[in-house]
Order: sequence, then C-alpha cells, then structure tokens
Amino acid sequence: MKNNQKHGIGNVFRYTVQQHYKTTSVRIFLAILFLLSVAAFPLLRVAASSESEVTSSDISQLYLSNQTEFEITADDIHADDRYANVTVTQEKLEKDDLRQRLHDNQNAAAAIISATDFGFTIDGYYGEDSKISENDVSTLTHVLEDALHQSLLRSLSVTQEQIDTVNTKVNSTVSTVPDYLSGDKASLDTGTHMFVNLFYSYAVMIISALAMSYIFQLCMEEKVSKLVESLLVSVSPTALLAGKILAVTVFIFGGIAMIVCGLIISYFIAKSTGDVSFIRSFLVKVMEINPSALHFSVNTILLLVICFLLAYFIGAFFSGIVGSCCSKTEDTQQASVAVVLFLMIGYMTASFTPALESDTANYFVSLFPITSIFTALPNYVCGKIPLTVFLIALAVQLVTVFLLAKLAGAVYKMMLLYSGNFPKPAQLIRMLRENRGTAKAAAGKEE
Amino acid sequence: MGFVVTDLFKKYGDKVVVDHLSFRMDEPGVYALLGTNGAGKTTSIRMILNMLAKDGGTVEWNGAPLTLQNCNVGYLAEERGLYPKNTLMDQLLYFSALRGVPKAEAKKRITYWAERLEATEYLFPKQEGKKPVKPKKADQLSKGNQQKIQFMLSLLSDPELLILDEPLSGLDPVNTDLFKSIIHEEIEKGKYLIMSSHQMATIEEFCTDLTILNRSKTVLQGNLAEIKKSYGRIHLFIKAEQDLRALIEQAGITVLSDIGFSYQCRVTGEDQANALLKTLVEKGITLIAFELREPSLHEIFVEKVGDANEE
Repeated sequence: MKNNQKHGIGNVFRYTVQQHYKTTSVRIFLAILFLLSVAAFPLLRVAASSESEVTSSDISQLYLSNQTEFEITADDIHADDRYANVTVTQEKLEKDDLRQRLHDNQNAAAAIISATDFGFTIDGYYGEDSKISENDVSTLTHVLEDALHQSLLRSLSVTQEQIDTVNTKVNSTVSTVPDYLSGDKASLDTGTHMFVNLFYSYAVMIISALAMSYIFQLCMEEKVSKLVESLLVSVSPTALLAGKILAVTVFIFGGIAMIVCGLIISYFIAKSTGDVSFIRSFLVKVMEINPSALHFSVNTILLLVICFLLAYFIGAFFSGIVGSCCSKTEDTQQASVAVVLFLMIGYMTASFTPALESDTANYFVSLFPITSIFTALPNYVCGKIPLTVFLIALAVQLVTVFLLAKLAGAVYKMMLLYSGNFPKPAQLIRMLRENRGTAKAAAGKEE
Repeated sequence: MGFVVTDLFKKYGDKVVVDHLSFRMDEPGVYALLGTNGAGKTTSIRMILNMLAKDGGTVEWNGAPLTLQNCNVGYLAEERGLYPKNTLMDQLLYFSALRGVPKAEAKKRITYWAERLEATEYLFPKQEGKKPVKPKKADQLSKGNQQKIQFMLSLLSDPELLILDEPLSGLDPVNTDLFKSIIHEEIEKGKYLIMSSHQMATIEEFCTDLTILNRSKTVLQGNLAEIKKSYGRIHLFIKAEQDLRALIEQAGITVLSDIGFSYQCRVTGEDQANALLKTLVEKGITLIAFELREPSLHEIFVEKVGDANEE
C-alpha cells in the first residue's frame, strides 16, 4: 500500500470515528449500554433469586393433607436440611380450618397432595399475613415431590441403593472410531450443536446487520451531501471506503468491547457482594448446555475474536459493494434486501444443518464462504469438524475478505459519480467489465 | 512543461461524450472551458482529475501524467456541498489533513481565508453572554455562505492548479465581486486556472485562452484576444432619437436587432461603419451612441455553437 493511501485511510478513519462519537445520541446510547452491562449480573442475581430455591426456610409448621395411598413421613421432609426443624402435622384439612390455622401461625404452611387421572398434584398454601415467602413454599413443594417419588418407589419394594442407581445422571457423547482411537474429544449431541450454531449465527447476523446500516449510511453520505468531487481530489475512493469500513469496525467492536468491560465490572460487583454461582446455573438453565462440555479454552476466545472479525469484514465489504450502488436514500431499501438475503442464506443454512447430522454437510457449510462465517467456529467448538478443516475454513474466509475488499473498492470507485437508479446485478457486472476494459486500455496507452 | 491535455476521449456505450479534446497551458493563466449543457465540460474535468476512467488521451502536468501526488489541485465542483451535520471547522481541518496540510498551518490558513471571504462569524462565532458558543454546522448556513466554505476548501492546500466549475453561480453581486477579487489574486500569484462557466462576461474578464465545446466536439479554440481580432470590428451599436433603420439598410448594413431606436448591426468592416457615420452626421442626425467593437465572447459562443448545430 502506498504512503498516500495510508495517509488517506488514516485521515478518513479518524474523521469518521471523531464525528460518530461527537454525536450526542451515540454518546447517550453508549452510556446506557454500558450502564446496563454493568448492572447485568446484579440484576441477574435478583432475577435468579426470585426464581431459585431458598437456602434456609422460615417455615416452622407444615400441615400436610396427603390424599393419596402413598405414605409420606416427617422423616422424608426432614431429610432435606432446610426443613429439618419443621413440625409436620398430617391430617385431612378443610378450607376453613386451613385458613384459620395459617392465620394463627404466621410461620405455618400447608400442602395438599392429591391423585388425578394423569398423576399427582401438590398444592402449597401460606397465609395472607404470613412471614414466609412464596419461594419458600415453592421449594417445599419440590421437596414433597421428591418425597412422593421416593414413596412410589418404596411401594414397589425398591431399595434406596436401587433408587440411587436409577437416579444416576447419564451424559451422552458421539464420536467417530478414528476420533475415539486418537483420543479426540467426542462431539456434542445434535440439540446442543444446533443451539450453539443458532446462538453464534445470531451474533454474526447482528454484527453484520449493524455493519450494513452503518456502511450504507457512510457510503452514501458524500453522494447525498454532493461532496464526492471535492473529496476525490484529496483522497482515492479505495482509501475513502477502507477508512470508513475501519471506522465502522471501531464503532461495532468498540461497542462490543465496552459491553464486555461492563460485564467484567458487573461480575466483580456481583462477586464482591455475594456468591456468583447463580451465573453458571442461570446460563445452564437458559442455554440448556453444559459449557464445560464444549471445546472451550483461552485459545477459543482468540479464535472467536478472529472469526467474528472475518465474519464482520465479509459482511462489511459485501455491504460496501451494495451500498456503493445507492445514490438516493430510497435505494437503501433495495440494498438492504440484497444484503439481508445474502446473510439469511448463510444463517438459515447454518441453523438447520445440525439437524441433518451429516459430517459431509458440516464440512460443506464450514468451507463454503457464505455459510462458513456462521458455522465454522460452532462446528469446531462442538467437535463436528477437525482442526485442519477449521483452519482451511479460516483461510477460505480470509481469501473471501480479500476478494470482496478488492471488488468493493472497484465498485465504490466506479459508482461514486453514478447517479442513476439502483443497478441490477447483471447491469453492475456489465459496468464493471466496461470499466475494467477502459482502465486496461488507458493503462496500455500510457505504457 | 505546464499543463497539457492530449486527445482526451470518452464514450458511454456508443455515445461519445468527449471527442478528442486537446489543449495546453504552457504558463500560468486562466484557461476557459466553455460549452452548452451536456457538451462534455464536467466529464472532461473529471477525466483530467482521474475521477473518471479515460477511454483515450493523456493529461500531463510538468511532463508527467497528472496525479494527486505530483500536482496540488484545488477543485470547486459544479455539484458541491458540505457534510450538513458536521461543524464547518471540522470539515475544513479534515480537508486540510487530507491534502497533507499540518494542523497548525491549516488553522492559520482557515483564519486567513475566513477573514478574506468574510466568513469569520461562522467559523469563529463570538460568545454571547454566558451561553457557551456552539460551533456552526453546514446546514445552519445560507447557500451563498456555504459556497464560501466550499471555495475555501478548494483553496486551503494553496493549489498550483485550480479548477473552478461555475464558481460564481448562485452568488449575490457583493459576493460575486468578492470571489472575483480572490480569483484575480490567485492569477496574480501565478496559478494555473481552468474555469468553466456559462457566464460569458465572467470568463471574458479572466481568461486568456479558451476551448468551446458543443456536443462533445471542440468547435473553437485559441487565444481569446486573437480570436476576437480575427473576427475584426464588425459589431456596430447605434442609438439615436429617431428611426434610422432605412438609412442603415441603405448603407448595406445588416440590422440584427432594433429596439426603441437602438440598433445592433453587423458591418463588413471599419470602412462601411465610417461611411454610415459620415452620412448620419451630414444629415444632422443626433447620435446618442455609435460604437464599433469586436464581438463579445457571448456572441462568438452563440455563433459557433449555432454554426455547429446547423452542420
């Protein structure tokens, strides 16, 4: 790259970034985003604590009305440490009695276990002026559920040892014989693979869509402001586009970095004010996956950054090509359809490929440029493709970035002074060919 | 040496938009590029500045192909604007940085041009009371004042070659004079100027050489003074207090227009005009004006373009 190109890129980049962060609405938006990310874990704790089981109970008295034939003893309830001191009174309760007893004792709860056509129902109650929480009673009903299951098993003369054996947790993994023999980690099940794929694809989609809207705006602003010709005597079109795309990179990844910093601060705030185990349990509960089962390490974080950057640049340069064809604000509608279609093809393919459970399909989507940005990393992390295929996929993406960058530069240069309707693909290709022919002829004559 | 354009050619599909345009400026001065709408002036300028790919021809500056690196160009485009939501100062500093002008020097030049173009109040607004002063943005300025900033953008790099496309369009008489005085200063500084305009009087005021384009082709080219001289003094203007049409036509002179005893005529030469003057004096006719002159650029332009269209 020539020095004047670097100089141009640097100046365009600095100016675009400077003007972006000078905008009041952008600063307000970023401040809100940062505050939300700082508040994330403390808020998550509040949300999790309202839904999670209690660690100690305020219940001192339990009125239990077991209307089934399966016996539940006080010992079954006392087996749970949180309810070890609860006095259990078993009797058939009428509604009026129940209300009176719960009114008399503010630390009392009641539970009615009944049989239905479909199984059993456990209803927990507490008084209107009670000192115990709903969460406490909810936890107690879970303890009663376990006790009922134990009672069902006892009725079948199953020993505790057999119950423990039945309750043993099972983790399933799938791997090929060569992988097994080579000691590679086994791949995850289809559900998890699909979830990871969807989650990652969604993130790529959001980044690409954000890039698209920024780049369209930046590609058009000189045309709309009628500044193109004044600018082109100072900077080359390629440097102008490159500077703008680099600036958008800072907007987007700067925003992501800010959120990550906010989350780190949030984590330390949560840690300094109590236990943070709720984060893991919340993630597992929401994601329904075990993070430790993923091929996840510090290196994966590095790969994640690289993959995100490659995906971003592919989306950004494609947006640059399409955005360069816009002359008026109305053209952005057509342009958005083109870019969204491009992204959706990759996203949908990436989302549904795991359902095929086919190695060939996983290899193909990992190596095909449009789908590769969505699938290569999830497929590697979930053990669906080996490292070599993953590295080839990264190389394919890198080459795609390079080719798209060259094409975007050529299209931007050609379309900067164009003021007609949004061109159709065939028209654009024809214009590019003509332009290339002209440039070659001119170069030949000058030689 | 200097600035040389040779055989510049451009076509879109089968349509030729610039047909082998050639001209040169061996020394500093003003060169006018004139033409009807769609004649190819702006396309030629865009090719000269490498904004548009050429289908043929070369553009040289001091013996080498003109590039943004070997020639410091200032360009005031016909289609011009500013970033509407960005402050004026930011935009001026940005353009200066793109042209490699250091920030401190750029600020000096901005201050100079702000004063020269009477735009200080927009670039350096004074504080009113305790209210903090907000820098002006482009969309807060009138069209004429925006044009001052655009002109400033083209001058900030202190260019060697200044290309002005319709520099005075849309300006009020006061600002027109202000712009003209700056253009005169640039000429005096020894700059190369290429000017394109439909205002023939303006071109005539500044230019030494010109090219007239019509439908992509060069229809007239050369030194303005020589072109005018070659036409001779064949334009005669007479103003009297009575009807003279019959007397003028009797002298074999063509009357081009006749409005309220004012006559625009074409003579074959000075002798024919002198003969008419003698006749009028002998007849004791009071003349308010009798002016024998070379054709104006406007008249030459209309004639050349008309001839070309008839062909």
